[in-house]
Amino acid sequence: MDSLYLKKKRIMLVDDEPEILNMVVSILKTEGFCNITTASAVKDAITLAEEMPPELAVLDVMLPDGDGFCLMEQLRKNGTYPVLFLTACGEDKDKFTGFGTGADDYIVKPFLPKELVFRILAVLRRSYKDESPVVKLHNCEIDFDRAEVIKNGVHITLTAKEYHILNTLYRNAGRIVTIDSLCEAAWGENPFGYENSLMAHIRRIREKIEQNPSQPVSLITVKGLGYKLVTI
Amino acid sequence: MAERREALSPPLRLWQRLCLLKFMKSVPKLIRHFANILILSAMLVIALNILLLYIFTSSQIPNGSPWTLADKTAKTLKYHKNGYTLSLSTEKELEKYNVWAFYIDNNTMQVTWHTKNLPETIPLSYTISGISNLTRGYINEYPTFTGECKNGLVVLGFPKESFWKHMYPSWDMDLIEKLPLRILQVIFANILLLLVIYITANIKLLKSVKPVTNGIQALPEGNPVYIKEKGLFSELAASINKTSEILQSQKYHLHKKETARANWIAGVSHDIRTPLSIVMGYAGQLKEDTDLSIEAQNKADVILKQGRRIKNLVNDLNLASKLEYNMQPLNLARQNLVAITRQVVVDFINMDTLNRHQIEWETDKNLSTCLVNADKELIKRAISNLIWNSINHNETGCTIFVKATSLNNTCSVEVSDNGKGASDGEIERLNNTPHYMVCDKNIKGQRHGLGLLIVKQIAAAHGGTVNIGHGRHGGFYVKFTLPLSE
Repeated sequence: MDSLYLKKKRIMLVDDEPEILNMVVSILKTEGFCNITTASAVKDAITLAEEMPPELAVLDVMLPDGDGFCLMEQLRKNGTYPVLFLTACGEDKDKFTGFGTGADDYIVKPFLPKELVFRILAVLRRSYKDESPVVKLHNCEIDFDRAEVIKNGVHITLTAKEYHILNTLYRNAGRIVTIDSLCEAAWGENPFGYENSLMAHIRRIREKIEQNPSQPVSLITVKGLGYKLVTI
Repeated sequence: MAERREALSPPLRLWQRLCLLKFMKSVPKLIRHFANILILSAMLVIALNILLLYIFTSSQIPNGSPWTLADKTAKTLKYHKNGYTLSLSTEKELEKYNVWAFYIDNNTMQVTWHTKNLPETIPLSYTISGISNLTRGYINEYPTFTGECKNGLVVLGFPKESFWKHMYPSWDMDLIEKLPLRILQVIFANILLLLVIYITANIKLLKSVKPVTNGIQALPEGNPVYIKEKGLFSELAASINKTSEILQSQKYHLHKKETARANWIAGVSHDIRTPLSIVMGYAGQLKEDTDLSIEAQNKADVILKQGRRIKNLVNDLNLASKLEYNMQPLNLARQNLVAITRQVVVDFINMDTLNRHQIEWETDKNLSTCLVNADKELIKRAISNLIWNSINHNETGCTIFVKATSLNNTCSVEVSDNGKGASDGEIERLNNTPHYMVCDKNIKGQRHGLGLLIVKQIAAAHGGTVNIGHGRHGGFYVKFTLPLSE
């Protein structure tokens, strides 16, 4: 997958539990992330961020000298990088506070290593999409900056709806995205009754990105559930 | 008495009061009952009075009225050559009552016959007005009664003060004709009067009873009750107030206890998350570590799966206790149940850890929207619990079928599998287990447990139902139904 440039981003982990820090570092390193720093308290995290602002912060909520929500507000004063919470506080009100104060994602412990990596990548991809190089598919490339598909040297423009649908699929590349989520991406909240329109758009996207739209290899249908974008 | 009341245990006192409660609830009925008894009693009293009056008056003169005796004397007085003679039996009867008699001849207006005991003060000659007077009243204070003979008049004189005679007896015929109606009217007026007296007397009682009955009826609703402790039922009001205080106190302590328990569970579930993260994180890494042997990777996979089970269990325990104690706020909004179900299924497939299990989407392609008023996260939890239930009880693998349906203003999610399923007895038990947390001595009975319990709790919180049975694919089947949003 074309996420190498994302794995070079500076990631700061803040958690008061050294074992968690070690483990997350280990997971991220195994997945190819190479710029990881850690802190175990609010004070250390602020110092660390001032020295070298991270490009993504993963914060615990309960820290020995303060809480993660306040830490996020302080960190945001010096930079606008994405923040993701990784915490044992799984109550709805905690999640609402997290998202309400501007967190990019909120992961409740315990978590699966794969899930953590996927969500960090998804946040990075969304936050640094302007830097994204073209996305390579089996038969074409997608340039999201220009909203274009380059197939066999030909530039094909994507419509707004096609762009939103493809972008949503790309952010979740390799995973199934439900019909409902795609409709929501294209038509906003409560998109009832757009399934047929979505199918029409998918067909047009396939015509643009697939060699043979009848036998798609990049934009796969998962019957009754949704679609999956396969990148290389 | 006060000491005795204090000596009773609170539940017993409560029981006594509840008995009283039942009694007081029927106060209006009782009042009607007593009013009926009153009317009946009044009628009986009147009837009894009439009977007694009849008995007394009839027994007053066993041998008939003095007029009858006078008639009898007149009939048995016979004229012979030697003068008048009275039959022996009449004579004896007159003697028995100490009655004297004489006979006045029509022509001479003189007394031509009399009994031996005729007082000397009695005149022996009469005028027409004298006869009229003695017929109406008395001769020298002797009450007199007359009987008509062939040629004259027999006069009986009873002892002084033995009778009181009406001197001016006359009855209006109209009054006599209407007498039955008048009697009925009098009886009715009497009953009415009694009722008015009774109701007036009872209004005060009713006024005193009303707050007491209202208070007792409010007690089971669990609201605080206070009744002014005055009037006829002041003691009862005090007891109800005390009962209410006890109930409120018990409610407060129960709530406090429940909150403490729920907080304790929340605390434990929070504290277990960090160590579990480390276990699952490293197990996940080891599972993917190709430098390890396949056997070691499989062992790591087992640790990961068990970790995931603990995670689900902890989440379930926390949510179950919160739902149980109403500490989980419901964020209700109009949601598309089909979309939520689809998202849960996709999340499972995306998790990419279901090696031995497959999920199949069986929903009709034409059913894309089914709006319900629901808390999205809780519904997701319920559906994923149903899928986890199939996974956990079929460790060797199975296919899980998920289907959303809509029928008769309801929308359902059916989760079934082709695994080992459950026996009829087990299904019956699962269907009949209450949705709230129960302390069951049979620990084995909880095995199927918390996951389904939460599904039931969530359904109940949304006004929905859960049906468990055999699936058409041979395994377990659960149908989670919610009412459609209006």
